[in-house]
Amino acid sequence: MHSRNTKILAAFVVVCLVVGGGYVAIAALGPDQTTTDARPQAAKAVLAHSDLMVRAVDPSNPRLNGRVYEIDDGRVRQRSSDLACERVYYAAGHGICMAVAPSGVDYDATLFDSRLRPTGKIVLTGLPSRARVSADGRLGAMTVFVTGDSYLESPTEFSTRTTILDMRSGDQIGQLEQFKVTKDGHPFDAVDFNFWGVTFDPHDSNRFYATLGTGGVHYLVEGSVSGESMRVLRDGVECPSLSPDGTRIAYKSRLGGQPRWHLRVLDVATLKDHAVAEERSIDDQVEWLDDDTLVYSDGVDVYTVPADGSGASALLVRDATSPVRLALPGKN
Amino acid sequence: MYQVEASKALLKPSLWARHSSRLRVPRNVVMLGLVSLLTDVSSEMVATVLPLYLVFTLGASPLVFGAIDGTYRGAAALVQVASGFTSDRWRRHKEVAGLGYGLSAVGKVALVAAGNTIGGVGAIVAFDRVGKGIRTAPRDALISLSSAKDKLATSFGVHRAMDSVGAMLGPLVAFGILLVAPARFDAVFVVSTLFAVLGLAVLVLNVEGKPRRAPREGAPPKLRAAASLLKDRSFAPLLVAAAGLSIASVSDALIYVGLQRTIDFEPAVFPLLYVMTAISFMALAIPAGQLADRIGKVPVLLAGHALLFVVYAVLLLTSVGYLLLIVCLLALGGYFAATEGVMTALAGAILPEKLQASGIGILITVVSLGRLLSSVAFGALWFAIGLHSAVLIFGAALLLAMAVAAPLLLRAQRHPVHA
Repeated sequence: MHSRNTKILAAFVVVCLVVGGGYVAIAALGPDQTTTDARPQAAKAVLAHSDLMVRAVDPSNPRLNGRVYEIDDGRVRQRSSDLACERVYYAAGHGICMAVAPSGVDYDATLFDSRLRPTGKIVLTGLPSRARVSADGRLGAMTVFVTGDSYLESPTEFSTRTTILDMRSGDQIGQLEQFKVTKDGHPFDAVDFNFWGVTFDPHDSNRFYATLGTGGVHYLVEGSVSGESMRVLRDGVECPSLSPDGTRIAYKSRLGGQPRWHLRVLDVATLKDHAVAEERSIDDQVEWLDDDTLVYSDGVDVYTVPADGSGASALLVRDATSPVRLALPGKN
Repeated sequence: MYQVEASKALLKPSLWARHSSRLRVPRNVVMLGLVSLLTDVSSEMVATVLPLYLVFTLGASPLVFGAIDGTYRGAAALVQVASGFTSDRWRRHKEVAGLGYGLSAVGKVALVAAGNTIGGVGAIVAFDRVGKGIRTAPRDALISLSSAKDKLATSFGVHRAMDSVGAMLGPLVAFGILLVAPARFDAVFVVSTLFAVLGLAVLVLNVEGKPRRAPREGAPPKLRAAASLLKDRSFAPLLVAAAGLSIASVSDALIYVGLQRTIDFEPAVFPLLYVMTAISFMALAIPAGQLADRIGKVPVLLAGHALLFVVYAVLLLTSVGYLLLIVCLLALGGYFAATEGVMTALAGAILPEKLQASGIGILITVVSLGRLLSSVAFGALWFAIGLHSAVLIFGAALLLAMAVAAPLLLRAQRHPVHA
């Protein structure tokens, strides 16, 4: 009885080895599926104020890294054939490209220059979420999702981790999780603190805004990189993005407890806010095309909408995400 | 029945087993360890790649999934008690455990077939959790019923060590597959399914459902008998001690968060924390069990909890070097090795044969509720008075819990439950 069962089991093991090994072998011989060849298409040629950098997305296979393209006057150009990302951002000669590594399970960030040439590589500890570079190109900020990969706890719980980088050296300057936070002048701390979505002050890269999530509330915080500190300004703000003139913050506002968001714009001086004309749920850290126009992605295409609440949203680029405003020479 | 001494194939002789050159563990325990190992390889493979799969294939925000997952955790805890009693009542521990392992295996098949919607993945994760809830109590009862009473802690140590080997191997297998076949999540799910099916096959074919201590005669236990464990003069103190100790122990997830806030290490080091703790747990689980069988389970349990003081102390420091960090993680692994399995062994030793799964199910549920309470309390204290003060309070609470638990556990050990 016993030895017969062991023989059945041995046969079982052999079958599993053949099936599993065969499946993996066939998968390994298949085409590389980490980067798409999809190419964005500009829907209109009215980028009067700035050029744009985007990341291509393949709508039928959105998991793939997309190549980085530049768009000027409605023409799509690609300067590098190698830069492929999940998230891209760029300012003043310094860019961040957060990607899934070719293994498909590791993540890394490539720093690049004005010609899209790699200048450094940083290992990431989680899924790419947000990337920003200060207007002077001095500092970068990256947010990743990390999983609670403790083997005794739930593997599917997420938290975020946000680091501030020196864009020249690629060195980490700070982690927001270790900055001191105050609320109404008092120290503020909790076990479930998560930070994401940094935006730098265009006039002083040491100053930044970000989201602090805790206990189901999403606070707008204003911080100082050198002071390693942040203070809470108000709640209900996720993924803030400062306008080029630094006077307004575009952000996504959560609808109830659901993971659905509407875009809004907030006046920095008064903290008063208003809706914009985009009616769909948008999960993106908005970019400003100019002082009057927001540009963002719904995950598949890039749209614009007036920042003052007037007008309507309009398609700008098909098959693209991660729009980045590129200042034209002499026009900043 | 099958007292075959299986040792050489899977287990290295441990440092503690100097008297006998071989580690003597019932074959059934090794087979159950193998079932858990294979199942853990399967589960951890999926757990490793699921976040990436969800976000990049399904375009889900990770936060969506966190919410899906949390809702099913409570359900799994309640299932434990029910499956424990049912398997005692029917005297079918193997079959009930098999149902639990089977549900997880079916979940993996479903992931291959229909894992392309968020709702589908959520349902599959729920399946997996319920399966885990169903199998744990009858599986532990089988380990207990397969072992001589004076070797229980060693048996649980062997099982837990093998279990953690599976948890370590799973991510490696997943990484390996994705290394040769980039982004082919389907290949990971297929291989994961095969591991789950293989685990189930070992259970069905090579695990004895009626091991030597399994009850064979007498009336099947009534629900009232299982319920009376809650006020038993021996088992109730054990539950109180276990609850107190688990409430005063900060969960490892929170310890890692605390370390991250305290110590200024590179983010890339972070995943290594889990690996280091797991290796320490894996290496110490068997020696801790053997020691518990030799000098007594209660002293080992208390010593294991005392290791948490090392961890708490590190959380209180403002500057910690890598050496101290390693010591802290070794202590954390040692704490796991000397507590969960040893506590279950202690319960197995005092519970009557016919109520093994019921009692163990109740114990597991009490401990997991204690852990939940602990996490909520620690989070609230952290928010109200800061991390350092919270750790100090938990340190004091742990000292108190140990002082209260020691006499209760000794009393429980001296007086087996009368059935």
